[in-house]
Amino acid sequence: MATKRDMIVRPAHDLGGLPAGPVVPSDHEMTPFEKSCHALLNVLAAHKLVNTEEKRRGVEDLGAEIIGDLTYYERWAVSASKVLIEKGVITSEELGARMNEIRDRLTEAAA
Amino acid sequence: MTNPRETGVVGHGDHTHGAPGAPDPHAPIETAAGEPDYFDVLHQAIRELLVDKGLITADEVRAMVETLDAHRPTLGSALVARAWTDPDFKERLLADGTAAIEEFGIDNYDGTRLIVLEQTPEVHNLVVCTLCSCYPRPVLGLPPDWYKSRPYRARAVRAPRALLREFGTEVAQDVTIRVHDSNANMRYLILPMRPAGTEGMSEEELAALVTRDTMIGVTTPRLP
Repeated sequence: MATKRDMIVRPAHDLGGLPAGPVVPSDHEMTPFEKSCHALLNVLAAHKLVNTEEKRRGVEDLGAEIIGDLTYYERWAVSASKVLIEKGVITSEELGARMNEIRDRLTEAAA
Repeated sequence: MTNPRETGVVGHGDHTHGAPGAPDPHAPIETAAGEPDYFDVLHQAIRELLVDKGLITADEVRAMVETLDAHRPTLGSALVARAWTDPDFKERLLADGTAAIEEFGIDNYDGTRLIVLEQTPEVHNLVVCTLCSCYPRPVLGLPPDWYKSRPYRARAVRAPRALLREFGTEVAQDVTIRVHDSNANMRYLILPMRPAGTEGMSEEELAALVTRDTMIGVTTPRLP
């Protein structure tokens, strides 16, 4: 368990030099969601809407517990939404409304 | 690190499987209840809002998916084979990686600076991103899961020789290991040493020896 000091001087992403087990030579084919999410974030970076540092900071701000529970691209999607809201590019109200629309659309299509 | 034999939990680096009651991160997007996946909906909503605002286009996102598909480690392999057979190109590649890959016809689509580092009999270079997952995507495609995993990121800068041994790479004690920590704007590609006994090989045959892992620095090229 990390001490309070560790939590401040060693944020969750800062792993260099820490003890850890053996490397598992793992890999997987990207899912359509992962690929689409990656492409979206690249386009956001190209338009200077969310750059790489902002994206990473958005992930770090989720905190160790959420970072540990979410998958890599789930973290990216949440980070992008938070950074865009902070910068005033979108509002949380319009994001929530659009998510409801999309959810209804997908549920209808599946029915 | 949790032992999967004891708990059934399998670590995939950035996420785990098999904890009691835990959802499978690789499960299809539609959940059992038919409820669309939260994060899938979230990223679609971001895209649609920004398209509606005229800040991005849907075509750009589609084209980027194709770009991601097109950029694979074979680009890096061809680059290394060219450097092995063309000393002038190798010199340019080591002097300015970004300019040299563009000259070679590789689209440096993420706009990052590429630094190419040469393996020598005296120095073995290894690439990591301790903070996250920075990687030379234009030349190698997307990083494997282990590159983004906690053990790799944590140990590459502390115990590289032991880490390399796990990849089957034995680096002699008198060879210096230099570890390069990538960042958002600066990415590294390793130029491996051309193996002895490849003098008569064509550029294509040479490229086949250059695997992704040799260009990260965790392995060295081997003759088949």
